[in-house]
Amino acid sequence: MPATDSSSAAAPLTSFGRSFLSHRRDQIPPPPPDHHSHSHTQHPSSSDLEIDAFHRHAADLLHDLLSDSNSDPSAPDLLSLAWTRRLLDSFLICLEEFRAILFALADSQPLSRPPLDRLLLDFLDRAVKALDLCNALRDGLDLIRQWRKHLAIAAAALAPAPAAQRGEAQIRRARKALTDLTILMLDDKDAGGVVGQRNRSFGRAGTTRDSLPHGHGHHRRSSSGGSSGSGSGSHLRSLSWSVSRTWSAARQLQAIGGGLTVPRANDIAATGGLASAVYAMGAVLFVVTWALVAAIPCQDRGLQAHLTAVPRTFPWAGPLITLFDRILDESKKKDRKHSCGLLKEIHQIERCSRQLMEVTDAAEFPLADDKDSEVQEATQELVQVCGSLKDGLDPLERQVREMFHRVVRTRTEILDYLSRPHNAG
Amino acid sequence: MARLEDEFRHVLSSRALDLEIEALADLGGSLSISSDRSNSASSAELQVVDEDDSVSSLVGRRSSYRSLPSIREIDLLPDDAVSDLRAIASRMAAAGYGRECAQVYASVRKPAVDASLRRLGVERLSIGDVQRLEWKALEAKIRRWIRAARAAVRGVFASERRLCFLIFHDLPISNITVTAAAPATHDTPFAEAVKGAALQLFGFAEAISIGRRSPEKLFKIIDLHDALSDLLPDVSDIFAASKVAESIYVQAAEIRSRLADAVRGILSEFENAVLRDPPKTAVPGGTVHPLTRYVMNYSSLISDYKVTLSELIVSRPSASARLAAEGNELAPSLAELDLPEPDNQTPLAAHIIWIIVVLEHNLEGKASLYRDTALSHLFLMNNVYYIVHKVKDSPDLWNLIGDDYLKRLTGKFTMAATNYQRSAWLKILNCLRDEGLHVSGGFSSGISKSALRERFRSFNAAFEEAHRVQSGWCVPDTQLREELRISISEKLVPAYRSFLGRFRHHIENGKHPELYIKYSAEDLEIAVNDFFEGVPPSPHIRRRSHS
Repeated sequence: MPATDSSSAAAPLTSFGRSFLSHRRDQIPPPPPDHHSHSHTQHPSSSDLEIDAFHRHAADLLHDLLSDSNSDPSAPDLLSLAWTRRLLDSFLICLEEFRAILFALADSQPLSRPPLDRLLLDFLDRAVKALDLCNALRDGLDLIRQWRKHLAIAAAALAPAPAAQRGEAQIRRARKALTDLTILMLDDKDAGGVVGQRNRSFGRAGTTRDSLPHGHGHHRRSSSGGSSGSGSGSHLRSLSWSVSRTWSAARQLQAIGGGLTVPRANDIAATGGLASAVYAMGAVLFVVTWALVAAIPCQDRGLQAHLTAVPRTFPWAGPLITLFDRILDESKKKDRKHSCGLLKEIHQIERCSRQLMEVTDAAEFPLADDKDSEVQEATQELVQVCGSLKDGLDPLERQVREMFHRVVRTRTEILDYLSRPHNAG
Repeated sequence: MARLEDEFRHVLSSRALDLEIEALADLGGSLSISSDRSNSASSAELQVVDEDDSVSSLVGRRSSYRSLPSIREIDLLPDDAVSDLRAIASRMAAAGYGRECAQVYASVRKPAVDASLRRLGVERLSIGDVQRLEWKALEAKIRRWIRAARAAVRGVFASERRLCFLIFHDLPISNITVTAAAPATHDTPFAEAVKGAALQLFGFAEAISIGRRSPEKLFKIIDLHDALSDLLPDVSDIFAASKVAESIYVQAAEIRSRLADAVRGILSEFENAVLRDPPKTAVPGGTVHPLTRYVMNYSSLISDYKVTLSELIVSRPSASARLAAEGNELAPSLAELDLPEPDNQTPLAAHIIWIIVVLEHNLEGKASLYRDTALSHLFLMNNVYYIVHKVKDSPDLWNLIGDDYLKRLTGKFTMAATNYQRSAWLKILNCLRDEGLHVSGGFSSGISKSALRERFRSFNAAFEEAHRVQSGWCVPDTQLREELRISISEKLVPAYRSFLGRFRHHIENGKHPELYIKYSAEDLEIAVNDFFEGVPPSPHIRRRSHS
């Protein structure tokens, strides 16, 4: 299907967006004239058709997220920064269409009429939970940015411009930066391990007036790192979670997806099908936020939450469940199980820094030629990771913020609509 | 280099001055350049006297560093420590290790900034937390936040920026980049140290702006909006220099917009609520309805806050709002109402008038609940009088509403009063008319004694009934009550006196005059004083012994 211009969606959507409205115009034939009016199921109403199209488009969007580079060379790898941006794009498109459908059909299906009002309020409650997640994810992205800075130091040391000899000082500098990075990541993994490990304090060595009163992320450690030479110094971790100690991403996910029940047939009928659209939007909200939490570091990143018994009759159910399973599988892989985020670039950071540390371990100076080229190779990879992070983090953060905005806006619009006098009751 | 880095870290963390951060918040008055309103929906804002010198002595030496007058930077480290740090940073930067230096700086200052904000009372509340709290609790938090935010922005953040400047200015701390990037300025370490705290600070205001829109929230949210607006120039000044920092300003500005939207939304919600207020049961005694009090007090507060509201409310009550009223079975004719719309009327004024129009309309619905039409007119009298009075009591409100509409309201009052008098007293006064009593011709002096007796009897019964019933009615306003009694007396007593004068001898010449002439004019005068007390009267009308 050709990608057309998003007419109804707002600015930051990428060219990936497809407009529901223009899509539909091409597809739906006019209803045939009704000569035999004996059956009530013969001719689906136009609202049924619109809602069906919504379900199918959600399915398409999810399906596209599953495409791998074999079938589509331009498809980004699962859980990479680029893929995550696509995920958010898809969510924003879906949300916009959901909103459009609600208000398009509001005349015939008053939103404030039970059971639709109850279902909508339930959805909005879940949506609010997503807002806190957006803020936490923004912090997580910032954390990755901090990691990148360490990488950049190592890269600057080992591949300076203009090119210089890689000597002992440079190697030492890079190793220190990478060691600090490893400690940082270990620390944060502590807070955000997939399995939700208990927080281990590295030992609180006394407090000063200015030390932080709470937050498990704040603790003093003795300085480490092979080459720092100071040994006795101690420094505080550079980043703390800005959420309270009791806040938990896992709990937010549970609140978003927990108890999301399949709408009953008579509810669907009573709301002209909108009940199923609300359910679909809730499911999409869940899987998107769940995937984001899987990818990006945040406090208490438990992935246990899941949707119960999504009916396969919905066209998006298959791709949604597949997506969920694939990410879950990724989280169980040996080398990713204890990672603080499944984002591909995080894996690359871990790998690159480990590789560089190995390559420079017990190096003798001046470096032998083959050693030097090993170092150079490893450095190149590091530079690449730095680059993709630099290019990818800011746009993703902007999108997360946009998600925040849109959820707020949709919620406000629906609540306002529900409270207007001619709509009440 | 590593040793230098450790030295840097050491100096930065160990030489930090012990600051009375809380004092910054307590002296919030000196850090606030806008005047607090004298009224607010809940308890009044603390008024604090500007104590310039004591701020400095308590909190640390103050120096102005190219900043707005509202900003108060304080020393975070002693001067010699700062020079040391500058020296180290210069050497590290010259050797190409600027980035490490910047990182250490941020890693030490960040927890310090977080701690300062903690001490100022900034809490780590999630949006979920804020949603769960009762509004009363949130009001208190908003008040605290406003004080804390002023101190945080104008004191803590400003001071951090200055410190960063003193250490890093003109140093090449990030010029070695592997990938193409915008050159970081010397503000980056500051931005990194402060970013989390700043976002968390403004996050509270954002959480408030997202909450459900209920009318009770209006004024506190306006306070929050104004406080944030007040701070934005300072935020812009402090956070303008680097891209990282800029995003903080952008976010703060977004949040201010959100708060403005919330204000507009809440005002709409209020208008809807007045429209929707159900008739329920009639208020006993026809007194001023709680809805009237609520709406007029609210409107009065709106006029107190008119400076900000005039800026924020830019559209008139929409045609659709009025159309919506049309769909409401309680107010079918609202949409057709001819609202006064003078040329220079501000949108805010249009809204207030609309609110009162909706209130009136709602009151008419409530008035129709009374079975006694006289009582429903009295009810309207009481309530419209209250409205008019409230308007007159508040010059701002009067100004907004305008003389024309006030005249209209007063006219409504007069009409209700007339209607009351007519429906309550016409029948009674008709007992005292001449017509129908005279018969023509014959031996009698021309008066039908039976008709006369009937008249006296009906008058007595009707008056007694009125006395019994209307004493239980209520006119809460003292002045109005007096005027109403006087007005009734003025019509009733002379008419009765004249009737008595002309016809009593007919009755007194007949049998059992006391059955018909029960009261003197003075008795009536006294009895009228029982009216509208809101209490059931004594069982008999007091009377003087009649002559």
